[in-house]
Amino acid sequence: MKALADSKANKYFLAAVLLIAVLIPQVITSPSIMQILILTLFYAYLTSSWNLVGGFAGVLPLGHSAFIGIGAYTSTILYLHYGLSPWFGMLAGGVLAAVIGVIIGIPTLKLRGAYFALATMAFGEGLRVLVENVDTIGPLKVNGPRGLLINLTGNSFIDYQFTSKASYYYIILALLLIILLITWLLMRSKIGYYLSAGGEDPEAAAALGINVPRYKVMAMAISCFFTALAGTFYAQMFLYFYPKSILGLDMSFEIAFIALIGGRGTILGPVLGALLLRPLNEFTRIYLGGILPGMHLVIFGLILILVMIFQPRGIQEPLTRLYRRILYRIKGS
Amino acid sequence: MALLKVENVFKRFGGLVAVNDVSLTVEENQIIGIIGPNGAGKTTLFNCIAGAFPPSEGKIVFEGSEIGGKKPHQICTLGLSRTFQVVKPFASKTVLYNVTVGAFAKTNRRVEAEAKAIKVLEFLQMDDKRDVFAKNLTLPERKRLELARALATEPTMLLLDEVMAGLRFSEIEVMIELLKKIRAAGVTLVIVEHIMQAIMALSDHIYVLNFGGLIAQGSPAEIAQNQEVIKAYLGDDYVTVED
Amino acid sequence: MSGTALLYTDWLDEMEIIFESLLNGLLMGSIYGLTAVGLTLIFGVLKVINFAHGSILMVGMYAAYWCITLTGMNPYLAIPIVVPLMFYFGYFMQQFVIEPVFKVEKDVREPITVIIVTTGVWYILDNLALMIFGAKYRVVHTSVTGKLFELPGDIYLLQPKVYGFILTFISGLLLFWFLKTTLMGKAIRATSLDRDAASLMGVNQYKIYRTAFGIGTAVTGLAGCVLVPFYSVYPSVGIIFDIRAFIIVVLGGLGSIPGAILGGIIVGIIESVGAMYMPSTWTELVIYGLFLLLLFIKPTGLFGSKHDF
Repeated sequence: MKALADSKANKYFLAAVLLIAVLIPQVITSPSIMQILILTLFYAYLTSSWNLVGGFAGVLPLGHSAFIGIGAYTSTILYLHYGLSPWFGMLAGGVLAAVIGVIIGIPTLKLRGAYFALATMAFGEGLRVLVENVDTIGPLKVNGPRGLLINLTGNSFIDYQFTSKASYYYIILALLLIILLITWLLMRSKIGYYLSAGGEDPEAAAALGINVPRYKVMAMAISCFFTALAGTFYAQMFLYFYPKSILGLDMSFEIAFIALIGGRGTILGPVLGALLLRPLNEFTRIYLGGILPGMHLVIFGLILILVMIFQPRGIQEPLTRLYRRILYRIKGS
Repeated sequence: MALLKVENVFKRFGGLVAVNDVSLTVEENQIIGIIGPNGAGKTTLFNCIAGAFPPSEGKIVFEGSEIGGKKPHQICTLGLSRTFQVVKPFASKTVLYNVTVGAFAKTNRRVEAEAKAIKVLEFLQMDDKRDVFAKNLTLPERKRLELARALATEPTMLLLDEVMAGLRFSEIEVMIELLKKIRAAGVTLVIVEHIMQAIMALSDHIYVLNFGGLIAQGSPAEIAQNQEVIKAYLGDDYVTVED
Repeated sequence: MSGTALLYTDWLDEMEIIFESLLNGLLMGSIYGLTAVGLTLIFGVLKVINFAHGSILMVGMYAAYWCITLTGMNPYLAIPIVVPLMFYFGYFMQQFVIEPVFKVEKDVREPITVIIVTTGVWYILDNLALMIFGAKYRVVHTSVTGKLFELPGDIYLLQPKVYGFILTFISGLLLFWFLKTTLMGKAIRATSLDRDAASLMGVNQYKIYRTAFGIGTAVTGLAGCVLVPFYSVYPSVGIIFDIRAFIIVVLGGLGSIPGAILGGIIVGIIESVGAMYMPSTWTELVIYGLFLLLLFIKPTGLFGSKHDF
């Protein structure tokens, strides 16, 4: 990572990647390809948020979809009932998610990691069952399994609604850059050092003066906050969602898969993982889904197992090595 | 005033009494040795002092305040640091990273922590290893890393749990010199060690534990003569009456 | 006078209904316990939550289903076929899929990668089943399906559940005996207490892991055989038992076999008694809530060791 920031060539490379990312919507006109790209960035963003706990703090959260749901429901309910702009609703959802994340984290992050994994999973599933069985919370409509529909207003920044896919693309790209920057800054700070130390060996970390559970809870709060922002994004992009689409196990597990395949606990791992898996996921679903339903998930599982056996630190490792070699060769010539 | 005072400490695990009514005193800038056969309760006593678990009974006072029952991270922040018998490096991180984690105990800024870590590494003559991943170190290097990390927290007192076990003769010599240097820098040391040559060369005062209880204390010369100690180590058969 | 008499018979009826659902909860709960025993055993030894557990149960259920459907045999005669098959299924799964990943992270106290790999196995097994058998719910009609035992006082119990209850306790006792007395059992227990010390003592830890995993899957296969006579089989059937089994093992104390059976019984009773007063999705919520509450107040569960978390 350090090498990525220091050398001049790296800066050029990053600038080039960024430029391409910014120009893509100007070149690509197909809405379905744009959709795939947006979802890829969406998952890269989600996984990067997850990575703050699941990667750096060395524990395994398996219920992050719950926080996506909290974000989507909070901003949408506030918008539908009180007309609050989803931009503010998004922040409210983030804060609520962080608070809930802390409440779950405090008792469980002190224990062996298995408890945290199971507690987050039970919370995620429990929340889905709850929402599916609730039509209203007090005066607020939740609509149970039918979900929520946001009325179309056309192009309106204050309503977080846009007619062009490109706008959504830029929003999620910006969110992704923000989380990557925050991750990068965190990793170079005391918090980052303490998180990694606590994740690797909690006992040794405590002996060096680190209150390990406290730092894990802190990471959980940050992670949940940013995860919830993605929920609002999802709601505003599709203008419709229901419990099964954003809550539940599948999304939680997919995030964890992307992180592990890409490279858990690295800054670029989640992005690389999403770039590989999301398009693959879409294409296998489109081309194999009709003949062999479930085939894309078998492929997913197989990739996961093979990568874990042969590249336990994820695909980011061989890719960075390849990049360095190319760089070396260019410099040599 | 004594820097550390352990008063009538007991530690029981179920029916087993691992530490039995131990009292000891450590003065500032001393090197205190704790010896005893395997299973004598040395590491358990260390764990009580460092906060890995609370003592069942008794008082532990460090710099005038009670620390018995405090958490390890709180005790470290008070200036009492420790190393582990089985070394625990952050294996996937570099040596510099490992030591920087320790140095963050006294600062919030990475640049300062890193500078501090480099100083400690230079002090322990291992700054040439700073970019090596901890998992690629040899055992003596890992032991030294463990020491460096603890030192980087700027402790007033260090508890060293068998930092010499598994080292070769020449490596032990080096370690003895390092520990003398650390003391000269103003750090009080309490060492648990099996290697007599080292403990005799270093300690100002030695406590001997057996079956959880204190059986003797004194200067290295006194301990070497003590019949109780010889019996504890070698069994009754080996105690010979000197004429 | 006649009014109070009427009230009294009402009360009697009510008591009978409650008693019947208590009994049913006990029976079903013990079977839940059986589905969780393998999970807790594997966790105890490998310190890994096996997320493929529900899928293994699903495989066991399909194995029992085909055994019974193709031969028309008594459902419980499938046990001596399915259980050994499942043992080797688990043994080789550990050897060829989990062990290679495990070895990479062998110094880590809690191998997160391994946990995720078990979820990969879950996805593969469930979706392979979907591709091979289709999404259809399959019900097998055996000589015990739908048969009832009638107890005095108008209490009816489903026969296959009663047999399941009996088999749970027999297998629990057998497992207990195996772990306490046999050399392999002792080696498994030693490894679960301290894997490094055990391997220093000359125990081949990887062989222990495979065997423990095999036994865990075999018991789960038994649970599959017990379920098939009264529960339909479909590719994602595992997940329902999966989450329940996770809750049960935490309730009973991670790693504890009697804890798993008792935890199962508690969950079974909550479900069946709760079903009298609220819709089943709400009992599900009550169980999730209790589980989270338990993590707050007593994370070691009923039988968990204090040193194990």
